[in-house]
Amino acid sequence: MQEAGEGSSAVDVKDLRREYVTRSFLKKTTKVTAALDGISLRVARGELFGLIGPNGAGKTTTIKILTTLLSPTSGSAKILDLDINKDMYEIRRRIGIVFGGERGLYNRVTAVENLKYFADLYGVPPSEITGRVKKMIEMVGLEGRENERVEKYSRGMKQRLHIAKALIHDPELVFLDEPTIGLDPGGARDIRNMVRGMKKDGKSIFLTTHNMFEADELCDRVAVISRGKIVALDTPAGLKKSAKDISVIELQTYGADANFVQRIEKIGGVTRVVADLDSERQSIRVQTEFPTEVLPTIVGLAGDVNIIDKSIREPTLEDAYLRLVEE
Amino acid sequence: MVSRVQAVRAAARMTMKIFFADPQWIIPAIIAPFIFTLVALLLFRNETGPLLLYAVLGGGLMGMWGTTVYGSGTSITFDRFNGTMEATLAAPVPLMWIIGGRVAWNTFIGVINGGIILVIGTLWFRTGISIANPLAFTFATVVTYVSLSSFGLMLATVYVLTRQGGFIMNSLEVPVYIATGTMFPVALLPLATQPVAFILGPTWGIEAIRKAAIAGYTGLATSYWTDIGILAIETAAYFAISFYLFGRVERLAKRNGTLEEY
Amino acid sequence: MDTSTSLRRRVSMAVQVFTSSIGFGRKGTVIWDSPEMIAMQVFLLPLFQISFFAVLAQYLDYSGSAVQYIVVGNALQAMSYSAVFAVANITSTDKWQGTLETLMVTPANRMALFVGRAVFQSGLSALIALGGLFYASELFGVSFAHADVVGVLLVVLVTSVTMMCFGLLISSVGLFLRTAMILANIFLFLTMLVSGVNFPLSTLPGWAQPVGYAIPMTYGTSAIRLAISGASLGGIGSLVADEVLVGAVAIMLGYLTMVGFERLARKTGRFEEY
Repeated sequence: MQEAGEGSSAVDVKDLRREYVTRSFLKKTTKVTAALDGISLRVARGELFGLIGPNGAGKTTTIKILTTLLSPTSGSAKILDLDINKDMYEIRRRIGIVFGGERGLYNRVTAVENLKYFADLYGVPPSEITGRVKKMIEMVGLEGRENERVEKYSRGMKQRLHIAKALIHDPELVFLDEPTIGLDPGGARDIRNMVRGMKKDGKSIFLTTHNMFEADELCDRVAVISRGKIVALDTPAGLKKSAKDISVIELQTYGADANFVQRIEKIGGVTRVVADLDSERQSIRVQTEFPTEVLPTIVGLAGDVNIIDKSIREPTLEDAYLRLVEE
Repeated sequence: MVSRVQAVRAAARMTMKIFFADPQWIIPAIIAPFIFTLVALLLFRNETGPLLLYAVLGGGLMGMWGTTVYGSGTSITFDRFNGTMEATLAAPVPLMWIIGGRVAWNTFIGVINGGIILVIGTLWFRTGISIANPLAFTFATVVTYVSLSSFGLMLATVYVLTRQGGFIMNSLEVPVYIATGTMFPVALLPLATQPVAFILGPTWGIEAIRKAAIAGYTGLATSYWTDIGILAIETAAYFAISFYLFGRVERLAKRNGTLEEY
Repeated sequence: MDTSTSLRRRVSMAVQVFTSSIGFGRKGTVIWDSPEMIAMQVFLLPLFQISFFAVLAQYLDYSGSAVQYIVVGNALQAMSYSAVFAVANITSTDKWQGTLETLMVTPANRMALFVGRAVFQSGLSALIALGGLFYASELFGVSFAHADVVGVLLVVLVTSVTMMCFGLLISSVGLFLRTAMILANIFLFLTMLVSGVNFPLSTLPGWAQPVGYAIPMTYGTSAIRLAISGASLGGIGSLVADEVLVGAVAIMLGYLTMVGFERLARKTGRFEEY
C-alpha cells in the first residue's frame, strides 16, 4: 500500500469504526452491524482521492463521518488537521459537499437564490456574495438559466448547481459522493472536467464512485472498500499492477452456450469467467495468470463454437477492483 | 456571531421566498387557526361591549399562536420533504440559528394572521377598534411576538426528532387555546390545570395586550408591567431550553445517523 | 379465458387490492399509526375540542341545553381530523414520497385502491367520536338515559364512512393541486362552521347554508342529537338516508375525479407536478 507523504493532511483517518444498533422493540432484541470496520487512510493536501466499493460497502457512511454529519463509534478522524468531534463548525466552514442524487436543493426557488442562501449559511461576507454567485454560475455553465426555478432544471443542470453550491464558500477540501451517478455521458464528462478544475485550483478532493473508468481517469490514489474494510489503497496504476497476475482473454463467439463456459472454467489456471450469452454474438472474458497457455486450450475446446475474435489484454482497474471486492 | 446573524437572516429570507413561491407549506398554518377562531367568535354573537373586544383580542392571539405551532413544524418538515435536511444540517452554523430564522418569519405571518382576525372580528361585531393605550398595546404585541418565536423554536426540536411531530403539534393547538385564557378566563378551568397557564407565554401576552387595549380591564391580579416582566423571563427561559434542546438534537442526529429517515 | 372466471378473477384481484390497501393505508401513507398516536387521537383530541367550546359556552352563560348542543356536536365533529384531514392527506403523502406514479402504473382496481387506503382512518374516526361521546356523558353531563344505543352507534358508523367518502373527494381534487393540504385544512374546519356543530345552520348567512347540506356531517350532528334524546331508528332514518346519499355522491365524484386525473396525467405525462 502506498502512503501519502508526511506533514499536513486533508484527511487523516485512523481505525474508524461505525456500528449501527437496530433494536426490535417488540422482540426486545438488538442487532449490531458494523458499517465501517476499522478503516485508516490519509489524503494529502491537494490530492484527488477516490473511494470505490460496491453498494453498502461503507462509502456513504465514510463520507458522512468525514463531513461531520455522523459520529463514528470509535477511532479518530482529522479533516484539515481539525478533529471531527471538537471542531465541527470550523471543519464545515472549510469543506464543500456534493451529495449524490437529486436531493439537496430548494426546487421552488432559483439557482441564484439557492446559492445566495447557502453562501449566507456558510458565512461568505455579504459584500462578496453577489460576485461569488456570479462566478460560480459561470464556472458551472448555468449562465442564462440562473434565474429560473430549479425544478425546471435537467438532472445534469441540477448536478452542476450542486457543484456550484459546494464551492460557493471556496472550500479547501471538497467531498463528492458519486457525483456522476445518473448523468448522461456528456453530463458526466462535464462534471469530471469540473473536478479536474478544482484540483488545478489547489483543492483537496475526496470522491466516491462506482465508475472505474472515472476513478482511473481522475484519481491520484484510490482506496477500495468492501464490507466496511479497506482492502486496497494505491494509485490506479499500482492497483492494476497488483492484478498483473490476472490477464484477461477476451473472446467474441457465435454459438457459445453455458456448457462451453463451464468447460472453460475447468481449465487449469483460469480464475474467473464472465460471459454474456444473451445476444446472437457472445462475449466471454476469461481471467487467468497464464493467458498464452490457456488461450490455445480454449481454442482446442471450441468444437462447434465459432470464435470470431480473440485477444489478450492487460488488466484494467475494473478487473483489479472486481477481484478485490469478490475475494 | 456575525455568521449566525447572517444565517438567521438568510433563513428568514429563504422562508419568505418559499412562502411566496410555494404557499402550501404555510397556508394551512393560517387557515386552521383562522377558521377555528371564527367559530369561537361566533359563539360571542349575542354579546355586547367590552366583552367583544376581549374576544377579538383573544382571537388575534389564537391566530398568532396557531400559526406559530404549525409554522414551527413547517420549518423542519419542509426540509425533510424537499430533501434538503442533510444540506441544512451540514452547514457550519448550529441548526438552531437556521431554524430560528424560519420560525421568526412564520411567527411574523402569525402576527399578520392575528391582525386579520382582529380586523374581521371588529368589522363583524361592529365594535370598532378603540385601543385604550396604543403604545403599550404595540409594545405588548411585539414582546408577545418574540415570546411566541422562542416558543416555536422550542417546539421545532420535536419535529427534528420525530415525524409524528406534526400530529403532536396539531394536538397542542387547542389545549393551549384553553390553557392560556384566549377566550375565557383561566380561572374557569379546574385548579389543577391552572399552573400550566402560568408557564405559557401567551397567557401573559394576552393579559398585557388586554390591559393595554381595554380600559378598566383587570383580568389576573397583576399589573401590565408585571405581565411583561413575566413574559420576558419566560421568553428567556424558552430560548435557553431551545439552545439546550438543539444541542441535544444535533448530537443525537449525529449519533444515530438518522438524518432523514426518522 | 372465459368471461366468468375472468370476472371472478377480477373480483378476487379487487378484493386483494382492497384488503392489502387497508393495511397499507395504515402503514405506508399515514404516519400517525403508533399505538400512542392512536390513543392520543381517541382520548385527547375530542377532550380538548369539547372542553374549549363547552367552557367558552359556559363562560358566556349559555343555557344548559345550548351547552349540551355544543358538546354533542363537537364530540361527533372531532372525528373529522381522521376521516377528512388524514384521508385527504393520503394523496399528498404519495406526492411527497414520489409514489403516486408507481401506484398509477399498477393494474389495481381503482375503487378498491381508493377506498381501501382510507378504511383504517375511517375506523379510527368512529373510535374518536365514541371517545367524544364518552366524555360528553362522563364529564359534561350529557344524559344518555333515553338514548337509542343502536341509533347512536349507527349514526357514528355512517358518519365515519360518509365523512371518509368526503375526505376521499378532497383527496382526489388534491391530485390536481399542489395545495391539497390547504384544501384539507379548509374543509376540516369548515365542518366545524357549517355542519351544525356549535350552532344551528339557520344562524348562518343564507349563502353558507347550502355548503352545510353538501357535507355529511351536517346530517350526522342532527341525527345523533335525536338518537341521544331517544328518537327511534325510524325517527332518524330519513336523516341517515340523506347522509348516505350525500356520502355516495361524494365518493362517486371523488372516484370520477381520480379517473379523470389519471387520463389527464397520461396525456401530459406528468403525475407529480400538479
